[in-house]
Amino acid sequence: MGLSSIFGGGAPSQQKEASTNARTASNPIAKELKNQISQELAVANATELVNKISENCFEKCLNSPYSSRNDACIDQCLAKYMRSWNVISKAYISRIQNASASGEI
Amino acid sequence: MSSLSTSDLASLDDASKKEIATFLEGENSKQKVQMSIHQFTNICFKKCVDSVNNPDLSSQEEQCLSNCVNRFLDTNIRIVNGLQNTR
Repeated sequence: MGLSSIFGGGAPSQQKEASTNARTASNPIAKELKNQISQELAVANATELVNKISENCFEKCLNSPYSSRNDACIDQCLAKYMRSWNVISKAYISRIQNASASGEI
Repeated sequence: MSSLSTSDLASLDDASKKEIATFLEGENSKQKVQMSIHQFTNICFKKCVDSVNNPDLSSQEEQCLSNCVNRFLDTNIRIVNGLQNTR
């Protein structure tokens, strides 16, 4: 479960929730089921992220006839994309919080 | 990761079923938020980030990304309202 451990580390809120849920679970089968669901979700999120980053960074870093690779560009693009993800996530979540505080949603 | 069998699942008591239903509901809405963030990042990265010569975001890029999300949501709300009015 390499991918999910990468992504699990990137989503602390999800992980925290999962562990508190796991602790309160009375039934070991229920606990196992919840763990499996969390794992699958983490894998799905990691896959989505990898696909989106590949798409965007391929577009940004590989122009013209792709004769050579451009590893430095891809590394920088990857870092930049992850930072963008965090900025977007912050902006979106604060918008949701404001909307729910003012009773819009 | 061991896999659960159907008989394991059938043996779940009502309290556990309820617990799982609540868990799924929560995970579901969290996942919707996650997928929206993936979508917004995909759109806004294209619009806001021109050069990838630097792994850090400039303050303009950061501002652009956050404006981009907010404008997308404004657009979304306006469209929903518009559709409601034409009904």
